[in-house]
Amino acid sequence: MNLLAFAGRRLAGAALLLVLLSAAVFAATAVLPGDAVSSVAGVDASTEQRAHVRAELGLDRPAAERYASWAAGAVRGDLGRGFVGERPVTDVLATRLPNSLLLAGLTLAVTAPLALSLGLWTGLRAGGTADRLVSTGAQALAAVPEFVVAALLTAVLAVWLGFFPRVSVVPLGGTPLDAPHALVLPILTLSTVGLAVATRLLRVCVADAAAAPYCEAARLNGVRGVRLAVRHILPNAAGPAVQALTLTTGALVGSSVVVENVFDYPGIGRELQLAVAARDVPMVQGIATALVAVMLAVLLLGDLCARLLGRREVNSR
Amino acid sequence: MTAGSTPTRRARPIGRRTPRGRLPLVLLVMATLVVVLLALLGPLAVPHSPTALLGAPFQQPDAEFPLGTDALGRDVVSRVLAGGRTLVLTALAGTAAAGAVGLTAGVLAAMASRRLGDLLVRCVDALAVLPPLLVVLVLAAGFPGSTTVVVAAVALATAPFSTRVLRAAADTVLTSGYVEAARARGDTRRAVLRHDVLPNIAGPALTDAALRLVASLHLTATAGFLGLGRGGGTPDWGRMVSENAPGATLAVLPFLAPVLPLVLLSICVGLLADVVGRGTA
Repeated sequence: MNLLAFAGRRLAGAALLLVLLSAAVFAATAVLPGDAVSSVAGVDASTEQRAHVRAELGLDRPAAERYASWAAGAVRGDLGRGFVGERPVTDVLATRLPNSLLLAGLTLAVTAPLALSLGLWTGLRAGGTADRLVSTGAQALAAVPEFVVAALLTAVLAVWLGFFPRVSVVPLGGTPLDAPHALVLPILTLSTVGLAVATRLLRVCVADAAAAPYCEAARLNGVRGVRLAVRHILPNAAGPAVQALTLTTGALVGSSVVVENVFDYPGIGRELQLAVAARDVPMVQGIATALVAVMLAVLLLGDLCARLLGRREVNSR
Repeated sequence: MTAGSTPTRRARPIGRRTPRGRLPLVLLVMATLVVVLLALLGPLAVPHSPTALLGAPFQQPDAEFPLGTDALGRDVVSRVLAGGRTLVLTALAGTAAAGAVGLTAGVLAAMASRRLGDLLVRCVDALAVLPPLLVVLVLAAGFPGSTTVVVAAVALATAPFSTRVLRAAADTVLTSGYVEAARARGDTRRAVLRHDVLPNIAGPALTDAALRLVASLHLTATAGFLGLGRGGGTPDWGRMVSENAPGATLAVLPFLAPVLPLVLLSICVGLLADVVGRGTA
């Protein structure tokens, strides 16, 4: 079976990419001018104080050396401590990342079946009125920033109708599952955004499969409706469709950062934004690297699934 | 074959689609123009200072403040009018920068040797793995409070796709018969680039720029919402949403007022990009 070899090669590629991108993240945050000293020492610190803080944070060493020691720590599972509150970065990741994954998983569970049905429905009627309406709607919706969707949903569902809380307050020490109603608005927002992205991609996969000669033959043989969709279109659109869902999941990584901030959801995206606002460099590096790793893992998984489903061609952009 | 006789593939004019498709298109273009003009000229028409504290926080609408006051007691109308210019200009600058980077890298990758071109595209693909928002956040952590960084980050995050698309477009042109003929005749690379490649990838480049504008607007508004870019009390539609979100249950207008132009602008630009894409496809 050359699937193992394929998986191994992809894994090695992803690992190399992770190293390169973590170096890029490190360079962007640590090497660039205004370093973290002023944010830790305060703006009115004297020169000696600044030098002291600089040495204490280890910022007086050359950047390559700092990256090497950071990467060596990262391999052992130690991403250093944040400047603010001295919290170990791995602790923050361990407590916050599961919350974000929960949000993403639930969103995907809502989005995938809906997008698949919509994609099948429009893809089989490519060029028709229903297809044009849904495609145009998805196109328009995909252009709207996540926080705007969130704001509109909040105004209607939380402020005017009072169905759900405006912010996701999770009991101290609990998980978001302890307050399920707090999850509704974030999931609804993410699903709306994800649906807009996924429907368009899936529609193309289905339309491609439906235009293939064997599908024409099946239709001429009198196969129609659900049977045509399930027996003939789905198996052949499955590979590209998995890739489309992979891309959607990738897009959700970015979207969830925004949505978590809108609803004060205790996820990794919220921590990232707080760290950026506080110029907490080790925290930004750790969280950004973790997000890149998640992204690469999702892409890798998508590639493997698509490979298992028998199609390697990706017709995504 | 001279430059004049080069068979340039021209797109059908967008307005001359089906007669049914024309009216919505006109409306779309007009709506976009109205929002863009509101954003660009709004700062000249503010009734009050957009940054001065003029009343109590979340004051109800009255004759003086038609949309009430925001979380700090600033006039919402003035802030909405003043808050779009930076957003639109930043998004346009980001698109221009991404277009320039994408065009240069794409054409270079196509004109270079195959191996070098593949290597370049590999590097660009590696960048494309990063979620665009992550690029913006990480760069903003490096240089806080700078609009230029938002432009650079937007360009960096959206350029990889341009590079890929434009390289493919340039590749098609470069492998076509008339370029072979031009090369055989002894045309220099520069002449081929100027007379054959650039005119023929103008269409894909335009479509691509429209898509980049959508992404760029999306990212710029989000950067504003997350409080990146120029700091302080500078009005910004995205930031207004986050400023007034905590008080949404007290006063929903300051929270919704900046959302509406944002929705209109992003939907219009998104649909226009779709039309441009279909027109040149």
